[in-house]
Amino acid sequence: MNYLRRILTIVGKDIAAEIRTKEMMNSMIVFVLLTLVIFNFAFGERFEGAAEASAGILWVAFLFAAVLGLNRVFVHEKDEGCLDGLMLCPVDRSVIYFGKALASLIFISVVELIALPIFAIFFIRTIFLANLWLLILVLILSNVGIAAVGTLLSAISINTKARDLMLPILFFPVIVPILIAAVKSTGLIISSPSFPEDVLVWLRMLAIYDIIFILVGFLTFEYVLEE
Amino acid sequence: MPESATSLISVRGLSKTFGRRRVLEDIDFEVEKREFLAIFGPNGAGKTTLIKILATLILPSSGTVCLDGIELKKNPLAARERIGLISHESLLYGDLTAHENLRFYGRMFGVLNLEERISHLLEKVELEHRKFDLVRTFSRGMQQRLSIARALLHEPSILLLDEPHSGLDPHATEILDGILEDLRKDDHTFIMATHNLEKGLNHATSVLILSQGRTVFGGRKDALDISDFRKTYDGYVGSHV
Repeated sequence: MNYLRRILTIVGKDIAAEIRTKEMMNSMIVFVLLTLVIFNFAFGERFEGAAEASAGILWVAFLFAAVLGLNRVFVHEKDEGCLDGLMLCPVDRSVIYFGKALASLIFISVVELIALPIFAIFFIRTIFLANLWLLILVLILSNVGIAAVGTLLSAISINTKARDLMLPILFFPVIVPILIAAVKSTGLIISSPSFPEDVLVWLRMLAIYDIIFILVGFLTFEYVLEE
Repeated sequence: MPESATSLISVRGLSKTFGRRRVLEDIDFEVEKREFLAIFGPNGAGKTTLIKILATLILPSSGTVCLDGIELKKNPLAARERIGLISHESLLYGDLTAHENLRFYGRMFGVLNLEERISHLLEKVELEHRKFDLVRTFSRGMQQRLSIARALLHEPSILLLDEPHSGLDPHATEILDGILEDLRKDDHTFIMATHNLEKGLNHATSVLILSQGRTVFGGRKDALDISDFRKTYDGYVGSHV
């Protein structure tokens, strides 16, 4: 119980700081909306009926926006020396990992929820409301993987000189399986008025990668912080 | 060196290497309860690394550290409950208020009666009137005072100080020294790393000089000839800066 309470304390602190500064969310929201608008002007009509291409646009926008946010996960801790403050707390290092990952998950999800209606207006011509819950499930599963791996890699990159460059270089190759599964499943969902059976394969893949990434983060975060 | 029955902190054969660079080599010392150990040394002597190891922030490459009978490597969580760190960095979040910072750290340490404790500490460091102000609006001296409140939240028995006077104006230094003197009456044990000889000797009951990662001098202050000690220290600072 204490373990969970301390994770939530870190989440609460990050949310309070973000509400006050808005520096992470603002840049993510502006980026994702601009990307969707530019793609709409460039390819709008040509994407009619090309659900998978639309899904690709959506996830490219989401992923790059997520990187913007993930780059800042440990910035305050590093720049203000608060990482040492966190590490002085009598808690397992994994509490810091899960607290930071959960906060990132919330920020990424909020940005996506804001961007999703804009995406629907620009790129979706079919009615997929019946499958909306499925799309939300895809978003949640994908975001869990993105936050899990992104938080770990952000902690690694924060100690490097070119930290803003380092995260994307480390992050994108690792996240490819999640990106493929997210694009494929989103494409199936937005193109089908009924339940797309094929989506289950991709959902299973997302869930497996989430478990792997969470386990890797849980087991290695201590060494990342201390070295 | 046999371990003293009353020693609260015991460091044995401590070494630390970063890559090929040896930062600390075979450090041994003991600190008794209520003692104030001042660790002197020029820049790059390994003082901050030693404090970080004692604070469980980095792992030693070899050797053992026991705090209050707890071996750091084996039970770091229990050790952290006994440690408070005051560093030249405040370890505070600039975008949170003084109260929010203390509440955050208090919850992370599982402090009971947290609100009372926060009020008591803010009063002690004379920041009660600024408790709802963002920390980034504080002067360096005020941040350092709040940092003391943060370090004392969980009532640690051991206080580690890493260049706590760094960047403070004379008034803020005076306030900090006053708080440290008050804390000495409350049964705390101190280890302070500093290159400020005056400040260190003013508070210390024992001294240690580190140079290039090695202990080159150690002893009780009351057994020292201060002018000889200054010459010894100046020799190391002069030759290794």
